[in-house]
Amino acid sequence: MKRILSYVRERRRKRRVRADGGTVDRSSTVRRWLDRDIVRSAPFWGPPFLLMGFFVYAAIGWNFTLSLTDFSGYGEPDYTDLGLGNYWTMLQDPAFWEATWHTVVLLVVFTVACLGIGLALAILLDREIRFKRTFRTIYLLPFSLSFIVTAQFWRWMYNVENGIVNQFVGLFGLGPYSWLGDPDLVLGAVIFGLVWQFSGYTMIIYLAALRSIPKDQYEAARVDGANTFKMYRRVIVPQLRPAMVSASVVLMLFALKAFDFLYAVFGGYRPRQGSDILATLMMREAFGNSEWAYSSSIALTLFVLSLAVIAPYLYTQYNRGNL
Amino acid sequence: MVIHDYKLGTMTEKQLQSRRAVLKTAGVTGAALALSGCLSGDSGGDGGGNTLEVLHGWTGGDGAKAAEAFFGGFTDEYPDIELDERPIGGGGNASLDQTVANRLQSNDAMSSFAGWPGANLEQYDGVLGDVSEVWEEGGLADSHVQEAVDACQFNGGYAAVPIGSHRMNDLFYNVEVVENAGVDPSSLTDIDSLITALDTVASETDAVPLVMSLAPWSILQTWAVVMLSTQGFDEYMNFIEGNGNEAAVRSTFETLEEIMSNYISDDAASSDFTELNQDLMNGDAAFIHQGNWVAGSYIGEELEYGTDWGAVRFPGTEGMYGLHIDSFIYPADNPSPEETASFLQYTGSEAGQVAFNQYKGSIPTREGVPTDNFNQYLTETIEDFENASMKPPTLAHGLAVDQSTQSDLQGVLNGNFADPYDVDAATSGFMDAV
Repeated sequence: MKRILSYVRERRRKRRVRADGGTVDRSSTVRRWLDRDIVRSAPFWGPPFLLMGFFVYAAIGWNFTLSLTDFSGYGEPDYTDLGLGNYWTMLQDPAFWEATWHTVVLLVVFTVACLGIGLALAILLDREIRFKRTFRTIYLLPFSLSFIVTAQFWRWMYNVENGIVNQFVGLFGLGPYSWLGDPDLVLGAVIFGLVWQFSGYTMIIYLAALRSIPKDQYEAARVDGANTFKMYRRVIVPQLRPAMVSASVVLMLFALKAFDFLYAVFGGYRPRQGSDILATLMMREAFGNSEWAYSSSIALTLFVLSLAVIAPYLYTQYNRGNL
Repeated sequence: MVIHDYKLGTMTEKQLQSRRAVLKTAGVTGAALALSGCLSGDSGGDGGGNTLEVLHGWTGGDGAKAAEAFFGGFTDEYPDIELDERPIGGGGNASLDQTVANRLQSNDAMSSFAGWPGANLEQYDGVLGDVSEVWEEGGLADSHVQEAVDACQFNGGYAAVPIGSHRMNDLFYNVEVVENAGVDPSSLTDIDSLITALDTVASETDAVPLVMSLAPWSILQTWAVVMLSTQGFDEYMNFIEGNGNEAAVRSTFETLEEIMSNYISDDAASSDFTELNQDLMNGDAAFIHQGNWVAGSYIGEELEYGTDWGAVRFPGTEGMYGLHIDSFIYPADNPSPEETASFLQYTGSEAGQVAFNQYKGSIPTREGVPTDNFNQYLTETIEDFENASMKPPTLAHGLAVDQSTQSDLQGVLNGNFADPYDVDAATSGFMDAV
């Protein structure tokens, strides 16, 4: 600390007054470089930059390098013979394509359903209804629960013989269905459980956006003769677009990480046929089969998918000057 | 000099220096504590390397009780050894296996971990140590059954010590349900008589004839026992050795399809075997085929053998003992070689094997163990083991094929034979996998 203080005093002493009232440094270009904003602010952005660089981006880079090796089992990977063999194997693996398809279906259906249901709930709760705070809490509650807990709920609710879902559809003379066992139903059942958990989150995002719209816009639409549907369609919903974009990105990233839910529902890395996603396939290859390099290539595919989700958002934000 | 701090208000330079000194001391102490915390973190060691850290997956029910008796006996016998017992449950053994894989991969070996010996050890090639000295000092090779001795050998030495053996070819039943149906389980001698019995249960009672989980490992173990029953020991051994007869494999799948399509419960796909076994205990199901760890759950529930539940050999496998072995495996770069050696000696000892197996529903791999502490069912199982002429190694639990092959077989079942049942695809998948 004493050294820093003496350095600061020395710098002040070296500065001399310029003719225009400012100061000029007598030292070299090195000194000028040290005085640049980016360098002077380095103590603030440097540590997080280094930490992120090392623990996130270097790890991704290492993961990519690992995916080029043929590392499996235990010991050390051989970095002398790198190649794209794992990616070639992956492209020829039907399990990979099946998991990719399920991942994309889950991503799209889950996101669209959450956005739609969240919007409907937000519009309903934005109106003057009784107990709206209670309803808001009820709708948001599932989001606050862990995947492990909600997965167990759904295991019970989807039980073929005494689950509440089959009891309900039974009222209409349907079923019973093996929701978590039938390959044709299982992905839909998983998506439904996830939508139930995340619609409350989307609702809150929309609700916040709705509250920020001035009341006079509603009144102006009314004065102009718009009915409720038209008012929301033409005036209100278009203004919710930024909220929708933000919520979509978060939802899609959650969809890519649905591993926890599937792991808890099926009690392992191997979900029922029809619901395997890239995350479970990756875990199975890594920790079930010790195929570290191959699982790294699947992990990188997941990473690219995440980038594909977030890149358009970042680009839009950049163009708008928000980044 | 007077300095203003927005948090501390106004203070003199002397006070500030004093504060800095305190902060500096606190910072250094904190960093030291954090560093020591990091260093001692996951390894569970105390720096001296003499803490015995053992990982296992027996976290609930009979398993937890068996582990408690086993480790309790160890600490009584070795009070000077500091034991760090780490039960890791979840996902069958998936969470345990993942933790073990992570730790071994990052050169952070534990003292020992529970796992299957046999072909299952191959996946740990390069990270296992040799405990031949433990075997020699304890005379374990002479005191344990030959199958267990063979299964624990790896790369010319020994990498594990067996703790017990489950039987894989038992068919358990609820006594009251089969009596109500008028079925005599002891009269079932082949697969056709079993199917007739299942038909009778279905027509005479409201109970589910056979409860069975559609978890891939569960289908795999039942496939293996159906193959032993219908195709015989030699065809089974040919298959696991990679010389499978396609007709035998196909026929096994056809028989299994008949059973699974007609006699198991609707919730088979979404229930695990513990839930389904509960149905049997409650009188809602007649039969279950499982390893005899389910006997541990009956013992735990204090159900009476012969009165509440019973067991016969899976029809067609009389004279066989479906072999499963649990063991404690020894990693290389062991953090506590001496303590682990003592632990493995205890594992192979009579005291350790009795303490564990009497609650686990398994039998000791050590020969000549007094059966005083074992119930009638386990005593009969011990006798059966000694008299069995054929001991086919389990396909679903690491003895018969390596972990990768086992995973492939489970993948085939999960994709093609877990309702709906595709005999063609499953047959070709099995023939390709082994």
